Amino acid sequence: MTVLECCSGDPVANRNTVLMGGHTLTHSLTGVPVFFIFAFLFLFFWLSLAWGGVEISSPVKVENPYYSNTEAHEITGPHSTGDRFLIGEPVGSGLDLKMADLQGSQKDPLPDKEPEEQVQGEEEDWMDEEDAQSPLPDPLEPMNRAFYHFNDKLYFWFLKPVGIGYETVFPLFARVSIRNFFSNLMMPVRAISCLLQGKFKGVGIELTRFMVNTSAGFFGLQDVAKIALDMPLQDEDLGQTLAFYGIGPGFYLTLPFLGPTTLRGAVGWGGQAFLNPLNYIFEDWFPYLFARSFEIVNNTSLRIGEYEALKEASLDPYIAMRDAFYQYRLSQIEK
Amino acid sequence: MTFRRLMMTPIFFFILLFFSPVVSFGGTPTESVKDTTDKIIAIVSDPVLKTPEKKEEKARLIRAAVDERFNWKEMSRRTLARHWAKRTDQEKKEFIDLFGKLLERTYLERVEGYSGEKVLYINEVVDGKYGIVSVKIVTEKDTEISVRYKVKKKGENWLVYDISIEGVSLINNYRKQFNSIIVRSSYKELVGKLREKVGK
Repeated sequence: MTVLECCSGDPVANRNTVLMGGHTLTHSLTGVPVFFIFAFLFLFFWLSLAWGGVEISSPVKVENPYYSNTEAHEITGPHSTGDRFLIGEPVGSGLDLKMADLQGSQKDPLPDKEPEEQVQGEEEDWMDEEDAQSPLPDPLEPMNRAFYHFNDKLYFWFLKPVGIGYETVFPLFARVSIRNFFSNLMMPVRAISCLLQGKFKGVGIELTRFMVNTSAGFFGLQDVAKIALDMPLQDEDLGQTLAFYGIGPGFYLTLPFLGPTTLRGAVGWGGQAFLNPLNYIFEDWFPYLFARSFEIVNNTSLRIGEYEALKEASLDPYIAMRDAFYQYRLSQIEK
Repeated sequence: MTFRRLMMTPIFFFILLFFSPVVSFGGTPTESVKDTTDKIIAIVSDPVLKTPEKKEEKARLIRAAVDERFNWKEMSRRTLARHWAKRTDQEKKEFIDLFGKLLERTYLERVEGYSGEKVLYINEVVDGKYGIVSVKIVTEKDTEISVRYKVKKKGENWLVYDISIEGVSLINNYRKQFNSIIVRSSYKELVGKLREKVGK
């Protein structure tokens, strides 16, 4: 169905035939509904910006580093468990309130650290660090290790040589642009994840980014929004959304072709398949697979050397990978 | 009156001179990290040292710069965690040496690939003798890598005891690996593997 055909007839009938005829969105997008969709998107992003506060903070902004930092300590820092109790306590009884006032009047930014350090010996402060992070269970380790080796060979025997060949053909500028293009397409995943987590400012940023980068950034090839508007990519996905609602990671999983994840992450990926526009743009599996492979090869060409470095530096690459993945994931969820 | 004022001025300056170095001597954590980073960047981007014959000298210079900023003992202690206390002094010494070499080598390899990345100093948090320096590295591929140096004051210096890259702590990562190896086999096995890795 061409644009002309679509616009000449009854729009509702056209849409219905499209909806009944195929499961793709492309044809319906070319018709009249495109106006409504964009009007809705515009309204939505405008509202979410207004709701989430219009000023968009730059990532460099520092506001009360101490308190933002204690949160970080809950997972990785050296004094984790003690922090929360000692901060919470002074508000309790009258005496404590006086203590809190006293501490406040001294303007000591870190009032709770002194007693803790006295109690805690030099040799003991690694304990919190170790206990703070509940370990990720790995009941399927033999299977995971097998798939890890499969992915390892896949990388060294196939992906890396192809990536190097690709690297020599395409200049860096082109590869970064292609990465930006695919990343721009994944906007629905990030925007909806932000929305589900109540990060309305994030939704606004994502929708604005999509509009700006798709138009001024030449179909997302250039990340203009980050450079000009200081709106960085919102690194959110459905796995993080599940974590936001208190769902635990389950256990560690390594999947062939897909790499390390957790049970929770795998469920998130399943949901994301429905939000991935590539699934709707291509009717057939073949062009979809081609686009996906192209994206993977392109992104791999930008990351050659990272996996090698991890493998080279570790004594047990499987464990190193598992822990690096989990720590990275925790830091993503925390944000 | 004027005489007294004349007398007081030098004394005042003397006091100022005497006390100000105490405050600023060791520098802030950011200054310490920046100092070492700048040194290493200077070494890596020095055109004289780029020739293959000078590779050894370059590595030596970087190692010297890293050595004075990294607290290998603290790192080893934190990595071995609960296995540290069980080791004899001899074993501890050997482990610090081996682990230090492994980290140095890893660091050297990462630094060698330096190609004009920008290092931005974002934030600094000081808490008694502990501190965290947040850094952002902007690569030519337009990606930003957030790095956090955890430092601890030793004497007058801030020494690095852990590096987190994108939230992945190096020490935590090694701790998991080492613990797994010790629990599954033995400490001897770990040292053997370390030796093999370092190539000693």
